[in-house]
Amino acid sequence: MPPADERTGKQAAAQQAVDILHEIATILNCQLDRRTLSICISMIENGVNPEALASAVRELRNESVDIEQQRLAAALGGRKRQ
Amino acid sequence: MSSHSEQRINNAIDSLIAHLIPNDPREDEETAQDHHDSCFELSNASNAFRKTNRPPSSATAASDVNHASDLIRRKLMNSNPAHAQRFSNLYTRLLSLPVLNQKWAMLYLLYQLSDSTDPSDSVPYNPLPPQTLKGQAQAQAQAQAQAQAQAQQARDQQRETIRPPEKERPAKGTSSAPKRAEEEAFNEAFAPEGLRKYPPPPGKPKETATKHAPTEETQAPLKPAPPSRDVSIKNVKLADNHVRTNPSEMVLLRDLPYTLQGLSSTTLPFEKGNTLALPSTLPVPILSLLHTLAEPSLLFRQLSSWVKTPATGLLHQSLRATIDGELRSYLGLVATLEAQIRRALATVDENAPRSGIGKAGVTLKRCVVWTREATMGLRLMAVIAEESKNKMGGQLITLIHSFSSSHGDPIVGAFAERLLSQVTRPFYDILRNWIYDGELSDPYEEFFVREKPEIMIDPKATPRQGGSSVWDSKYELDSDMVPSILTHEFAEKVFLIGKSLNFIRHSCGDAAWVESYSNTAAAGKEELRYGDASGLTAWVNDAHATTQKRLMALMDTRFHVFQHLKALKDYILLGQGDFIALLMESLAANLDRPAGAQYRHTLTAQLEHAIRGSNAQYDSPEVLRRLDARMLQLSHGEIGWDCFTLEYKIDAPVDVVVTDWGNRQYLKVFNFLWRVKRVEFALSSTWRKCMTGSRGVLQGGGGEADWTWKTTRGVLAEMVHFVGQLQYYILFEVIEASWTELEMNVRREGCTLDELIGAHTKYLTDITHKGLLGARKKRGQTTQEEKEAVQIPAGEDTHSYLAQLGELLRLMLSFRDSVDGLYSWSVSDFTRRQEHDVRTTTSKAAGGRISQLQRDASRPGSALSTTTTATGGGLAGEDGSGTAAVHSEFPELQRVLKQLGITFRSKLQLLLGDLATQTDADMKFLGTAMNFNDVYQPVVRRKKTAHGHSHKTAAAAAMVVGDTTSISSSGRRGFLGWIWIWIRIRAAALFSETLLQLSGKFPGLLIAKPAVVVVVGRREGYRQGEGASLPCQEISSPAVSSAVFAAAAAAAVAAAASNVSATDTAFDEKGKEKEKGKAQITRHTTGMLLEGSRLGG
Repeated sequence: MPPADERTGKQAAAQQAVDILHEIATILNCQLDRRTLSICISMIENGVNPEALASAVRELRNESVDIEQQRLAAALGGRKRQ
Repeated sequence: MSSHSEQRINNAIDSLIAHLIPNDPREDEETAQDHHDSCFELSNASNAFRKTNRPPSSATAASDVNHASDLIRRKLMNSNPAHAQRFSNLYTRLLSLPVLNQKWAMLYLLYQLSDSTDPSDSVPYNPLPPQTLKGQAQAQAQAQAQAQAQAQQARDQQRETIRPPEKERPAKGTSSAPKRAEEEAFNEAFAPEGLRKYPPPPGKPKETATKHAPTEETQAPLKPAPPSRDVSIKNVKLADNHVRTNPSEMVLLRDLPYTLQGLSSTTLPFEKGNTLALPSTLPVPILSLLHTLAEPSLLFRQLSSWVKTPATGLLHQSLRATIDGELRSYLGLVATLEAQIRRALATVDENAPRSGIGKAGVTLKRCVVWTREATMGLRLMAVIAEESKNKMGGQLITLIHSFSSSHGDPIVGAFAERLLSQVTRPFYDILRNWIYDGELSDPYEEFFVREKPEIMIDPKATPRQGGSSVWDSKYELDSDMVPSILTHEFAEKVFLIGKSLNFIRHSCGDAAWVESYSNTAAAGKEELRYGDASGLTAWVNDAHATTQKRLMALMDTRFHVFQHLKALKDYILLGQGDFIALLMESLAANLDRPAGAQYRHTLTAQLEHAIRGSNAQYDSPEVLRRLDARMLQLSHGEIGWDCFTLEYKIDAPVDVVVTDWGNRQYLKVFNFLWRVKRVEFALSSTWRKCMTGSRGVLQGGGGEADWTWKTTRGVLAEMVHFVGQLQYYILFEVIEASWTELEMNVRREGCTLDELIGAHTKYLTDITHKGLLGARKKRGQTTQEEKEAVQIPAGEDTHSYLAQLGELLRLMLSFRDSVDGLYSWSVSDFTRRQEHDVRTTTSKAAGGRISQLQRDASRPGSALSTTTTATGGGLAGEDGSGTAAVHSEFPELQRVLKQLGITFRSKLQLLLGDLATQTDADMKFLGTAMNFNDVYQPVVRRKKTAHGHSHKTAAAAAMVVGDTTSISSSGRRGFLGWIWIWIRIRAAALFSETLLQLSGKFPGLLIAKPAVVVVVGRREGYRQGEGASLPCQEISSPAVSSAVFAAAAAAAVAAAASNVSATDTAFDEKGKEKEKGKAQITRHTTGMLLEGSRLGG
C-alpha cells in the first residue's frame, strides 16, 4: 500500500508542478501547451541543457511554420497554376 | 544508465518533434520521415553538442540557482508588475514541490522561450513567400476575393495529389533512408531563402495531378481551416501594402537618439527658434509619430538651454540644478533607447519588408511609448521653468508645491514632489540658519523674513534707539513669500524665533546663550528637509518655546520689565498715593508761579523730598534713578501746573515694551491725572478753609451772605464729589482693573514678548479709552449732537471727553478762585463788623481806654497791640470807602459763583449724557456713580429755572459730606451750647498759645501780614483766634486747621467722656467722610486727628 500511495502522491506533485510551470509559461507568453511542457520537463529532468532545448524548440517551431508556409504556398501555387 | 537516459531523451525528442511539427497531410510518408529525421538530427546534434559542454555550463548555472527566476522577475517587472507578483507566488509554490530536480533549468528554458510569437499568428511575420511575390502584390490584393474562393478548390486539388503518399507514412516510420535526392530539395526548402525556389511544389502537384480520385471524403473535415488563415493572409497583405518611406523608418530610428538629445541630424534638423523640421516626404502616420517624438526633443532643447542661463537667487539655482539632474536621467533613458535601437538595427534584415523592424522590436511607435513618461516630466519642467521667471524664493516653492499638492495627476504630483525635495534645500538651509542662529543669510532676499529697508525707518526712527528697532523694524515678515509648504502660523513662529534670537544677541547682549543654544539645538537634529513636516513642526515649536522662555526670563530678571511697568503705574499713573500727595503739597506753592519761573533743580529737589518722605524710598534705586521731574515745552502765559510733568526714563531693551507711543500715552494720562489731582487739592484746601471759617469768620454775616455761603458750599461739595468720583473711577476702575488684566496676561505660563507688548498696548489703550482721554463720542447719537450743535457751535473736539473734562476742571478752578474771593470778602466783612463793634464799644467807653492803648503802643515790645492799633487806625480811616468796596464786590461774586455753578452743572449733565450712551460698561458705571441718586438729569438740556430748583435739592443731597460740620455745629448749638463754648475756649487758648510759640520762633511769619488777632467777646464771649485765614498763606494749612480740629476732638474726648453726642459728632464726621470713598480725605482726617492729639497732648 505505501508504495502505491507514494506513487499517487508523486503523480499529484508532478501534476502540480506541471500546472505551476504552465502558468508561468503563460505569464511569460511562451506559447507552450501542456504536452510540450511535460516533454520539456522530462527532458530537463534527464539532464538536457535548457539552453539547447530552448533553441531546439525554437527551431522546431520554425520548421512547423515553414511547413505551414509551404502548405499555404502550395495552395496559392495550385490556384495560380489553374 | 547514461544509455538509458539517452534513450529517454531520444524518445522525448521524438515526441516533441511529432507534437510540434504538424502532420502535413500533403507530405508523403517519406518526406515526412526525412523531415522528422532531419529535425531529430538537428535537435539531437545541438543537444549532443550542448551535452558535451554540459559539465562546465551546468557548474556555472548551478552556482546561481536563483538566476533564472531573477531574470524572469525582472523581465516581468518591466512589462507587467502584476504578473511579476503572480510569478513570485508561483515560484515559491514551485520551490516547495519535491518532484523536480532541475527547477532552475526549467525556468531558464521558459525564460528562453518567453515572448515567443504565437505559432498561429506567426505567418505574417514570416513573410518570405510574399516577399518573392512582392511585385505581384497589387494584383494579388485585387484578386484576393477570388483567391479566397479559389483557395478551397486549389487545396482540394493539391490534397488529392498528396493523399497517396500519406498512406505510406506508417511504413516510413521505420526506414528513413530512401529518397536522398528529394531530401536535398527539402533541405533547400528549409533554408532561410529556400522558398524562393518556389516552383518545385507547384510542379509536384502537376505530376501527381492525375491521381486525385480517392481523396474526395477528406475534403469535408479540412474545410473549417481556411477562415482562420484568412486573418493571416490579411496581415500579410497589410505588411505588403506598407509604403516604402523616404527616409525609411530605419533611418529615422537611427537618427532618433540624436533628435531626442536635441541634436540636429540630416533627416531631422533643428532649426532656429525651437523648431524641428520634419521631412515632407513622409506619410502622415509617420509624421504624427514624429510630432509626438519631437515634443520631448524640443522640450529638452529648451530646458537644457534654460538650465545654462545664469540664475539669480539660491532657489533658482537649485531649481536649475534639479532640472539639470532630471535632464541627465532623461539622457540616460535616451542612451538605453539608443542601445536598443542599435541592437535592433544590427539584427535587422535589410531585405525584409519594413526592413524587418517589426521583428526587431524597436519601432517608432515603441519609441513614442517609451518616451511618454519622460515627455510628461519634461513638459512639467518646462512649465515650471517658464513660470519661475517672475517668481522669487517662497513663491517659487509655492509654484512647484501647487503642482504637487493640487494637481490631479498622480504622476505630475509625484514628479513635482521629487523636484520639491531638491529645490527646497537652500530654502531649508536659510530656515535652519534663521532658527538656529537668528541670522538671516539670504543674499537674494528669497526668505519670507527680510530686513526692512533702511529708508522706511530712516526719518522717524533716528531718535529711537536699540531695542525697538531690532524688534519691530529690523525684520519683517513678507506674507507673499511664505511658501505654501508652510502654514502662516508656522511662518509667524519661525519669524518670531529668529527675531527673538536676534534680539537676544544684539539688544540683550546675550550672544553667549545664543551660541550655546544653536550648538545644542543643532547637534541633535538632522538637516531640515522637505517632507518631514511633523518633525519640523515639532522642532520649531520646541525652539519657539525655548527662545521665548529665555527671552522673557532675560526681560524679567536682567531688564526688570515688570518692575518698570509697576513703577510706571505707581509714579506716572499715581498709584503711589503718599508720594504723589507729598509731591503735590511740596510743589504747590512753586507751581502757582508762571512756567518761566520754574527751575529744574527746585523740581528735582522737591521730587527727591517727596521720594524720601514717602514709601517710595523703599523702592529699588534702579527704579528711582529713572524718575525725573521736568517741565514740558514752555508756552507763554502758563503757570507751573500746566507744564509740570513727571517722567520715567526707559532705555534700550525695555523700550520694546514701553515704546515711544507708550511713553506718550503715559505722559498723557499723567498730565490728566495731575490736573485732576491738582483740582482736588485746590478744592479740598478751599473746603477746609470754608469749614474752619464757618466756625469763625463766616458766621453771622447776615441773611444774604449766609445763604450765598450755603449754596456755594453746596456747589463746592458737588465738585468735590465729582472730582472724587472721577479720580476713584480712573484710579480704581480703570487703571487697577487694567493692571490686573495685564498682570494676568503677562504672568501666565509661556507668555511671549509679542504677547507682552500686545498686552501692554492693550493696557494703555484701555486706560486712555476708559479714562476718557481718547474716547470720542459716538457718532451715532445724532439727535443729541444736533441739540448741542445749537448750543455749542464748536468742532468735534469740544465733544471729546478730554475737552469736556478739561472744561469742567477749568470751571472748578475758577469757581474755587471765586470762593476764595468770597471768603476774603467775608473775612473783611467780618473784620469790618467787628471793627464796627469795637468802635461802638470804644465810643461808649471813655477815652481812657484809648489812652491806655496808646500807652501800650508806645512800648515797642508789644507787637500785638501795635498791630491792633494800626489795624484799628486803618479801618477807622478807611471805614467809608472800605464798606462801599465790599458791598459792591459781594453781588458780583454772588453772580459769578451762581453762573459758574450753573455752567458746571450743565456741563456735567452733558458729560453724564454722553457717558450714559457709552457702550463700555465701565464708563456707564462712572456716570451712574456720579449720579447715583438721580440728582442730575443727564442728556436733556434744562432751563435755568429748573436748574435752580434741582440745584437746591442737589445741594441738599451733596451736602452730606461737606456740610456735616456746619450743620452739626449750627443744629446742635442749642443743647450742646455749653460744651461748645468750653471746647472753643480751650481750643482758642491752645491755638493762641501755639501761635505765640510759633511767632516767637519765626517772628517774620506773623509780622509779614497784618494779623487780625482781635480779642473780642462775641455772643459766647470767647476769644476767637482769627488765624485760620492768616496762616494758611504762610504755614501749610493742614497743620493749623488740624490743630483746631484736633484740639476740639481731643478736648471733646478728654472733657466730655460722658457726653455721647460730642464724640458722636467727631465720629460722625469721620464716618461720613469715609463714605465718600476718598482715600485722600480719610487719610487727612485721620492724620489730622493724630496730629491734633499729638499737639493737644
